Amino acid sequence: MLEEKILEFARLLRKGGVNVSVTQIATAVQSVAAVGLAQKDFYTALLSTLIVDQIDQPLFDKLFRLYFFSLEPGVLQKHINHDEQETDQLTAVMQLVDSIEGTGTGRGAGASPYLLLVKAVRETNYPLLRRLGKMGIESLGELEQGAVTEIDKLVDQAKVAIGWYQAVNTLEKIRVQEKVSEIRYSKWLECLSFIEKYMESLVEDLLVRKFGPEALEEIALAANIREKEFYRLNQLEVQEIRKHITKMARKLASRYARRYRRAKHGEIDLRRTIKNAMINGGTPVRLKYRKRVINKPELILLCDVSGSVAIFSEFMLQLVYTIQNRFSHIRSFLFVNTVDEVTEYFNNNNIEEALEKAFAKARYAMSPFSDYGRVFRLFEKQYLPTFSPQSTLIILGDARNNYRHDERDSLQRIGEHVRRILWFNPQPGNEWNTEDSIIGIYTPYCRQVFECRNLKQLEEVTEAIL
Amino acid sequence: MFQSREELEKKLAEYHYLIDRNAATVVYLAVKLQKPLLVEGPAGVGKTELAKALAAVTNSRLIRLQCYEGLDEAKALYEWNYQKQLLCLHLKQNQSKSWHEAKDDIFTQEFLLRRPLLDALESIEPVVLLIDEVDKSDEEFESFLLEILSDYQITIPELGTVKAKSVPLTVLTSNNFRDFGDALKRRCVHLYLDYPTFERELEIIKLKVPGIDQLLSQQLVSFVQLLRKQNIKKPPSIAETIDWARSLITLCVSRIDADIVQSTLSILLKYQSDIDKILPRVSSLLPDD
Repeated sequence: MLEEKILEFARLLRKGGVNVSVTQIATAVQSVAAVGLAQKDFYTALLSTLIVDQIDQPLFDKLFRLYFFSLEPGVLQKHINHDEQETDQLTAVMQLVDSIEGTGTGRGAGASPYLLLVKAVRETNYPLLRRLGKMGIESLGELEQGAVTEIDKLVDQAKVAIGWYQAVNTLEKIRVQEKVSEIRYSKWLECLSFIEKYMESLVEDLLVRKFGPEALEEIALAANIREKEFYRLNQLEVQEIRKHITKMARKLASRYARRYRRAKHGEIDLRRTIKNAMINGGTPVRLKYRKRVINKPELILLCDVSGSVAIFSEFMLQLVYTIQNRFSHIRSFLFVNTVDEVTEYFNNNNIEEALEKAFAKARYAMSPFSDYGRVFRLFEKQYLPTFSPQSTLIILGDARNNYRHDERDSLQRIGEHVRRILWFNPQPGNEWNTEDSIIGIYTPYCRQVFECRNLKQLEEVTEAIL
Repeated sequence: MFQSREELEKKLAEYHYLIDRNAATVVYLAVKLQKPLLVEGPAGVGKTELAKALAAVTNSRLIRLQCYEGLDEAKALYEWNYQKQLLCLHLKQNQSKSWHEAKDDIFTQEFLLRRPLLDALESIEPVVLLIDEVDKSDEEFESFLLEILSDYQITIPELGTVKAKSVPLTVLTSNNFRDFGDALKRRCVHLYLDYPTFERELEIIKLKVPGIDQLLSQQLVSFVQLLRKQNIKKPPSIAETIDWARSLITLCVSRIDADIVQSTLSILLKYQSDIDKILPRVSSLLPDD
């Protein structure tokens, strides 16, 4: 019985993109037998055996909560319900809230909940925050089956209902007016992110209770950020991906270093060997080798940063600059409908700061619509002569040209000048060459075109290329 | 070794190593299931210290293998003492033995140099085997650890398989310097040690810096905790908090203020760029009360 539940839970983790082996599951079962079913110990036993990578812990926490609390609450012995525990202390606050709801004017009128939210955050009053979170979720009404795929949207609606955005605004003002210290402000931010997460967990919980294992499976699948399209990521997931990318870069960098440390010695240098042999009366005791010259490629990144593609370009820049010692020289350019070089921002700079600066300062857009043709023409005219013929040009973009001129001749000339062009396209392959996507027109001029719409693909592509 | 998690927690506390419940559960599991314990986490949270504490409370000998790039079997496992072998052959030169007899003479236990891993396996008394900073070793070394960690045995071609006399309590630590293989990870029980909570760090300070003023310790711990949340290269570790507390006591400081923090910040932060970043903001990072 219990074994089955653990197995089922492990399957769920796999759906979420975590590799769990059979041995690990066996160890997990043994561990649970050793520490018992008290909630905390049970959790620790599963965590320490099923999760091998710290990065996966948030996902584990989420699925653990949903599986063992919402779906199968019977498994655990002592599951203390927070809400029940706090009810007593909360009566006063609830009366306060009720009096507001009781005015009958609904949200938007009278004393709106956002004032309460501001109050709760300023006092770091977690019970009140929970209560408000619930209020927000209640305002959503009955949830439907399809809602599982739209959790982000629902949470956003709930945020609007409790006046989240107004509250954030007001808090910012208060912060400036009252010169709030950073230590308190950081506590406020904690409160705000707490209520956000709390509401998300409430929605998930409701859905799992109502629609059972299927909903949970959907949530697990959606949580698999390795296979989620870049443009569908929310803010939190972007943070997660950044961590993944740093890790990936480290892996790439260390593998490279090892390989070349081994191959440091090149061919035997006969001249020096014989010269050295004279010392020993003509016996070559020690062989002399030529040092191998490692040729580091020059890399040029041309990144589309319009709308949904921007985040992908950002990831790629982060990745490439983390392993910059892998290249002799990297130059990077951002474009939407005009192109600007951003290489200098990355010189001796923290990558995050550099990205921020590059995106804020570079002049890459005169309108929000990307125009590949114009960019290629400008790029050829302004920068092409400065590139060495040994360089690799990587173009990041979806080739959605907004029905403008493609200027394929420009791209052809660029391709003839540099060693090779690689194109990473973050758009799903089945949408290529539909609507205004003209990737097919540019393909003949590129050495290779890769579909690169999620972390998993990015990993595969970079491993193959770099 | 331990009857329950509570016992383990208590014994470690007696040795002045405070451990929270989750971590204690994981350590208890590793001991109970006889699996290696892989401890990960930022530098200076007490990963190595945990192994030392475990050795102390279980009355075992601590065998430590420090990993580094280029560490190989000869340094980690065993090596034939070839000087001694040569000497032996030299002495026996006149006895004109056959090669087989000579071979049996020189490939014996006597000529084996035991390195930490073999030492741990052959030990009769209980041992704690600490393989420190596994992530710094090479990939080849890692795959060679696999045999030892899953079966607690090693094969020496000339001597045969050596099985552990008693299963050593194995602790591996890693700083996440490099991502090491899944195969190794899957054989271990995982413990992620993070920076301690406010309360826990306060306890640690009181334990390690006896006689520190209550309010001062609260002030300094909350400052350090906040510092860790800033975007800096190297957040201060527990060891640095302790150092800072000791230096404040030496300086006869009873309350911290912006001046004192600014002049002692270099104890907490080890990178100049971090110091430059934090220095102008010190007063806004100090606790309110």
